[in-house]
Amino acid sequence: MVAETPPLSTTQQALQYLDVHKIKDSSSFWIHVKPKLFTENLRLNITDILSFYPGRSTNFCAYGALSYLVIHNDPLGYVQFMTELFENGEATFHQVFFKPSKAVMLSAGDLRFKGVLDIRHAEQMWFLTLADHFKGYLNFFNRNYNPGDENSFWAATNLAKFNRMVKKITPYKVSCVGSDLVRPWVKDMTAYLQKRIKNGITVLYINNRIIHKKNHDKIKYSIPTHYVILESIKLENNLVTLIYWDYGNRTQIQVSPKVLRKIIFGVSQCTLS
Amino acid sequence: MKKRLSHIVLLGILYSLSSCSTKIVSTNYYNINKNKLLVIEQSYKALYKTKPFSAAFTDRLLQTVSVELITDSLTYIYEMGVDEPRLLDTLSQYGYQAKPIYYLIKNMQSISCAWINNFDYYVNDHQHRLVLISIKPKLIRYLLSPPKYYILAYFDRAQSFDEKGRLLDGKRVKRLRQLNGQTYRKITDRICFTIAEKYR
Repeated sequence: MVAETPPLSTTQQALQYLDVHKIKDSSSFWIHVKPKLFTENLRLNITDILSFYPGRSTNFCAYGALSYLVIHNDPLGYVQFMTELFENGEATFHQVFFKPSKAVMLSAGDLRFKGVLDIRHAEQMWFLTLADHFKGYLNFFNRNYNPGDENSFWAATNLAKFNRMVKKITPYKVSCVGSDLVRPWVKDMTAYLQKRIKNGITVLYINNRIIHKKNHDKIKYSIPTHYVILESIKLENNLVTLIYWDYGNRTQIQVSPKVLRKIIFGVSQCTLS
Repeated sequence: MKKRLSHIVLLGILYSLSSCSTKIVSTNYYNINKNKLLVIEQSYKALYKTKPFSAAFTDRLLQTVSVELITDSLTYIYEMGVDEPRLLDTLSQYGYQAKPIYYLIKNMQSISCAWINNFDYYVNDHQHRLVLISIKPKLIRYLLSPPKYYILAYFDRAQSFDEKGRLLDGKRVKRLRQLNGQTYRKITDRICFTIAEKYR
């Protein structure tokens, strides 16, 4: 299981803040965000830290993994940031100043057919704001948000960008192996990952097309597509059983050690020391 | 000179083959199989209500099935041969109605259904559900051309469509409702379809 780390704030502190701080009836900055859904969503995020759902067919999975780290460590900071962002249209989180574009503000609360993200207005704001602020080379040709870009390269995240985001908005230190195109050179991946999860939160950058096939072609692009938080891993009878978190839920899969090596492109270990 | 010419001809043929799009042979698929599809949809909905799951065939011959068994705490993904005894064992182990699910999977296999899933969507902040069924049609594929799948969406209630038969987001809005980034077209009031390069 994931090693316990001392958090910057607690769920209780975040709930107390929400009880005391009355959120405005509407925001002139986020015209589609409904305050009731916004507040309910914040409460859910801090009471159930696995609840973050980056949405169906979006490219928000990296921000989902980032949210896991944020909410694990500083739920009060998250709630304070979100309420300030809602009320003022700009806010600072862990010394990073966020001022989302008008197009992003207009779309938050209005994303459709993304599963339960449709009614999670705080998460829509959070994911869109993060994607609007942090840029990597994958976003080079699409830097400005247009409706529908949550599914496009505008929201994509390469490994270096992910690690940079973790370092900037969380107190975690990141040590990473792997890259966007070349798999990490690790002899025994299972043993390596078992060691990593003992000492911190481990994020995997994987090629999801192999384990979650979307067509019947035999040839699959060998590129990573998805970020997950690894929770446990064990090897039995030459079969690796992984439990990971993504999309608001834990998933258990079984793969051979060969497939495991094939799907992992990046391993980011996040520790507080 | 001759060799160079043959290379150019070969490249030309390769280019023309790769630029051709995939052709679906079985164009009348829905009408031929609509009764069987309805049975699949209804039985899946009933089984899903008792315990949520989804099923997808992951190989070309539709012999290997990937089942996602959804519990409150964990989603279990298992991939195995349809006729392997461990399919029934696994389903029973997690408290699913193993035999009916097995028959559903066999039914899917018999009419080339590649995937079945239950999706949530929201209207006026209220949750509704629909069933998506992907079909692997018979294709004529050229080199490097992408695969194509029919995807059928079964809604619980009548939907709104524009004059071109495209699925709309609601009665009073003109915005198209896209599922997994795809625009759907009307078959009946509550059933619509799209053609996509991915089956899920």
